Amino acid sequence: MQFLSRYGRTDWFGPLLVTILAAIIVGSLSPSFLSAFNIQVLLLAVAINALVAYSQMIIIAIGEMNLSVGAIGGLAAISFAGMMQVWHMPILPAALLGILIGLLGGIINGVIISLTGISAFVITLASLSIYKGINLGITEAQPFYGIPNLVKHLGNAPFLGPLPWLIIPTAIVGFGLWLMLTRLPIGRCILAVGGNRHAAELSGISIRLTVIVAHALSGAIAALAGILLCARLQIGQPTIGDDWLILSFAAPVIGGAVLTGGHVSVGATTLGVVIVAIITEALVLFNIDPFLVQVVLGVLILWAVGINRLREFRLKPLRRA
Amino acid sequence: MSRLTKLLGCVGALLFSGLAVAYADPSTKIALVPGGPHPYFASWAQAGADAKKDFNLGAADYKVPEQWQLADQNNLLESLVTQGYNGFLLFPGDPVGSVSTVQELTDSGAPVIALAGCLKDPSTASFCFGTDVYRSAYLGTQHLIAGMAGTKKRILHVTGFLVDPNTQLRINAVNQAAKEGGATVAETIADIDAPGPAEEKINAYLAAHANDIDGIISTAWVPSVVSANALRRIGTKRIKMVAIDHDKAVLQGVKDGYLLGTMLQNPYGQGYIGSYAIDKLRNGCKVNASAPWTKNALTARFIDSGTVFAGPEQVDNYLQSMQAITKTIFASFAKTYLICSK
Repeated sequence: MQFLSRYGRTDWFGPLLVTILAAIIVGSLSPSFLSAFNIQVLLLAVAINALVAYSQMIIIAIGEMNLSVGAIGGLAAISFAGMMQVWHMPILPAALLGILIGLLGGIINGVIISLTGISAFVITLASLSIYKGINLGITEAQPFYGIPNLVKHLGNAPFLGPLPWLIIPTAIVGFGLWLMLTRLPIGRCILAVGGNRHAAELSGISIRLTVIVAHALSGAIAALAGILLCARLQIGQPTIGDDWLILSFAAPVIGGAVLTGGHVSVGATTLGVVIVAIITEALVLFNIDPFLVQVVLGVLILWAVGINRLREFRLKPLRRA
Repeated sequence: MSRLTKLLGCVGALLFSGLAVAYADPSTKIALVPGGPHPYFASWAQAGADAKKDFNLGAADYKVPEQWQLADQNNLLESLVTQGYNGFLLFPGDPVGSVSTVQELTDSGAPVIALAGCLKDPSTASFCFGTDVYRSAYLGTQHLIAGMAGTKKRILHVTGFLVDPNTQLRINAVNQAAKEGGATVAETIADIDAPGPAEEKINAYLAAHANDIDGIISTAWVPSVVSANALRRIGTKRIKMVAIDHDKAVLQGVKDGYLLGTMLQNPYGQGYIGSYAIDKLRNGCKVNASAPWTKNALTARFIDSGTVFAGPEQVDNYLQSMQAITKTIFASFAKTYLICSK
């Protein structure tokens, strides 16, 4: 009981249980699920999707939402590829400029939201359109193919066993976010603003600055996700980011994030991404009718969220004790 | 714009510049509108530009909806009408859902041709001009089955958006060809004509079931690219594959022996001849009801824009193959499908 009481209070315990349960079920029905190659494929998906989820998570933490996560990621991705193909820019400066574009996109979102007081939903809905429009204006819906071999290699190859190179930047960002949210003043400010904006303001926190910082971080992380996906796909596809929105919310929510703000967990969000990745793979491995895939995916995500919520419900008496 | 498309456009322009016809109308403003951003439609931009020049049109502009959403496409079309566009070449966002929008366009006096994908009959579109996707998928599967001789002939089919009117036709065609060729479709993975989902699902399938299949047939652009890259990454030539379209990764895969070949389509020809036809329809020509229309599952007025298989021997000369098809269609197009008073 003490064990359950201690770990059950953490956000990551429920998603971890679901992850283990899902891995056992899928692994027992399809033994190849646990093969080294499949684990590598799973980790590649998790590496990018986790960044997408972090990008949204940091905005959920301040009690807002960012609809332009995919548009910023896509713009950064095609900029990264385009700078290397058209201007023959070296990889590192192109990647840094790509991230800078994402950072700038996020700052613009944050500044407009802070200055106008208009809902982040409305502002990011508009900026989604603007960033996507710039993407299409640059690419004319055609991919950039001039990706250097080193980028292609880093985007697909493992560095140790089944561990892909792409997992390294994601791990660094994940650790950095955890450190920021739990140890650094700016992280506590973000959670305070999300938890109770009025109280945060009264205690001297600059709401404007906090909102701008959160959106800037979100933009930079989304840009990094776009760049990594570009490396993985080996082309700069203009459609990168188009399908990120649902995932960006699903993983933090599975991880127990409170949509009104003030409470998020990096570990649980990462596990949320793993759960969605396992479910997505399972649908392929078990040959689900393509016309039913979306239905089954939705039901399974509900199942994962339900188990987590059930755990919280059962732990309430323990917490009171 | 890719060098490939430019090359295609330049050669196309040279090829057809001599065929520009009289009665062209500089007041004709055509919009070529795909369902959403997708590399398949890229050649439409050059085709429109060439048609504008060759047929003395006011405009023939490629206009892309921001996302692959019917609502986005409808909003764009309404905006284009207010901007003065008076002829439309449209890939329907939905074979049924787009019918009412097309009706509004034609009611305003703008002729519409469904391009690369058809509307469900009845509709007010003049006709549908695109790849016979059933035939393309069927022939591609036949080439794959021939290349898998001596194996158990187990096929993975990877295909595009389920909202694409062509996807179900492709699924049916692959299943039919497999049935006739003594092959088995082990699985159909659909809705993956976007980079992220395609990477995730195709690689997951290959990680778990690479030994359970002998061939891959791809009937959509992005899955073709992702599958070609995956086979190269795995380093296997045991699994045979036939792709679709002319992405660089696919063409290189064919050259390097990772793919048996690819089924080429003719997007440039669709945009070029389509623009010509819209201008003719705006200037007094009528659709010839007794023309030799092909029927498909959606419409009784379909014209095949051509499809051809390109293996390692043909892959370097595929442009010429498609140009030859375009030239043939164009030469008899007006006489066959239109009735013009002048």
